[in-house]
Amino acid sequence: MATVLGVLSSPGATSGAIGLLKSSGFADIEAYSPVPSHEIEAAIGRGPSRVRAYTLIGGLTGVTLGYLMTIWMSYNWAMVIGGKPFASIPPYTIIAFELTILFGVLLTVGGFLLHGMVFPKGDSGAYRPSFSSDEFGCLVTCHSDQIPRVQELLRRVGCTEVRVLEG
Amino acid sequence: MAAITNEPIPASPEQYNRDILRVLEKPSVLYVLAVLALAVILHAGVAALAYQTYWGLGKTGLMSPVFWGVYITTFVFWVGIAHAGTLISAILYLFRATWRNAINRGAEAMTVFAVLTAGLFPLIHIGRLWKFYFMLPYPNQRGLWTNFKSPLEWDVFAVSTYTLSSILFFAVGLIPDVAAARDRVTDWRRHLYRILALGWRGTSEQWRHHSRAVLHLSGLCTPLVLSVHSVVSWDFAMSLVPGWHTTIFAPYFVAGAIFSGMAMVITVLVPVRESFQLHAYIRAEHFDNMGKFIVLTSTIVGYAYAVEYFMAWYSANPFEQASFWHRAFGHYWYATWIMITCNVIVPLPLWIKKVRLNVPVVWVLSILINIGMWFERYVIIMTGLSHEYEPARWGYYSPSITELVILVASFAQFFMLFMIFLRLFPVIAIQEVKELHYHHDAHEPHAGKGGAH
Repeated sequence: MATVLGVLSSPGATSGAIGLLKSSGFADIEAYSPVPSHEIEAAIGRGPSRVRAYTLIGGLTGVTLGYLMTIWMSYNWAMVIGGKPFASIPPYTIIAFELTILFGVLLTVGGFLLHGMVFPKGDSGAYRPSFSSDEFGCLVTCHSDQIPRVQELLRRVGCTEVRVLEG
Repeated sequence: MAAITNEPIPASPEQYNRDILRVLEKPSVLYVLAVLALAVILHAGVAALAYQTYWGLGKTGLMSPVFWGVYITTFVFWVGIAHAGTLISAILYLFRATWRNAINRGAEAMTVFAVLTAGLFPLIHIGRLWKFYFMLPYPNQRGLWTNFKSPLEWDVFAVSTYTLSSILFFAVGLIPDVAAARDRVTDWRRHLYRILALGWRGTSEQWRHHSRAVLHLSGLCTPLVLSVHSVVSWDFAMSLVPGWHTTIFAPYFVAGAIFSGMAMVITVLVPVRESFQLHAYIRAEHFDNMGKFIVLTSTIVGYAYAVEYFMAWYSANPFEQASFWHRAFGHYWYATWIMITCNVIVPLPLWIKKVRLNVPVVWVLSILINIGMWFERYVIIMTGLSHEYEPARWGYYSPSITELVILVASFAQFFMLFMIFLRLFPVIAIQEVKELHYHHDAHEPHAGKGGAH
């Protein structure tokens, strides 16, 4: 297998390059970008991030833990005050709310770090510092015999530079 | 009065990195002296705290009937300041208000430093600092748990959650810009940025998860920011102290928090804009919009002041009426009138656009507003506690030198942390302002570069 990197100058050109490569039968494509871009994300077509599931699980964990902790602790050391119930749901809702947010935030960040930072897909060392400044990268993984075709497609969409990295 | 004129926005995406990361370059002598001066004041505060910790709370002005003083006032003040960052970063993000992009990073940093400063004050206030963990529900030999029905315990959870969430929200947004700094600087900080960037490469996979995480964090932080100052207000409103026991407190406090927070954003960003020549980024529309926020929240706060007096009169409750009479004409009359002047009258010129666009005038007004908002909390606490039901229990509180030194040191800490942040991390979110550049280019490729960030 080989990887070919095309360098572009805008999100629109990058998403156009990805679209052309995909319609030409190349499916293993990654893009580098200095800014978030819906165009590029849509062209790559990976669907929604799994981070949303972490947020949901975090929120549900927080609200459950908030109520269980406060109610259990109230009964664990029961204080008799004027015949009132030991556990009082309205004030405990505040604790449950705060823990919903806290666990939601913690798991959202955890999910992002796990999927985006620790085990990111598609980065095969083609990164260059200009990708955090003003250049966009389109990285295509293909068979060695497809390299000329990929180079030709990348040049056609206006890449300022096309390089074969491995293969 | 010369109004602000917009400079053209940068012509190339690379210029964004160059301009914004230039702030991280070698600091001037003036900057170093300023940080050292702030550090000296902070150390004076640490010495005052050590003195108070050794001798006890007798070294403060706290005594019956006033057991909440400058420390709780300052705690509420800094929690309030911390609100603008989340408002700008989370709420305005959800509303797709793109003008926020150039100021959100500075406001988020301000939030983090303000909430860290705020968090110290309950600890300082309890006197025996080493007992702070009593506030947490931890298993212990006596089988005791914290009282979850107490607003003070709600505060522990609210402020802790807010602190952690603000720091994480700030850190996640910072990752792509730290990577940009890593790719540009050449000195020792390159190693620091390499670690802090966590291997960021800007792949579409990373952006996909990053964008989703920022969206969800915004969604979570929006109700959080509204809840935190509501919970702080319930520290007062849940008690039966005249002047405190009112349902208007939560919205009144939240509006006041946004009011003071927005003023503090202006207070810190104007010197940053002038010192580092960021005129092309922090622009007329920012001052215009922040000025509008201040006008709106000042009106709400002014309305709340009026309604408090109306309710005291309309309730026919002699204790409420006495408390509010005492507030306006009693021992603390000076604080009340500073509060009303700075928070209701001083912002009135901001109704005029020409004033909102005059940077020096807006900056001076923002400082006066912050003074007024500190006094607001002082007035609420002092007039409430010093003038409760029985005349035999009326009293007067005046802060000791120890308390005043710690108060001043808290400001020194806040500004010192912010100044250190300026030299370590990009004060403007590079990827967000650049995103607008590309968006502008895609939709108006042949138009002049005069758009807003």
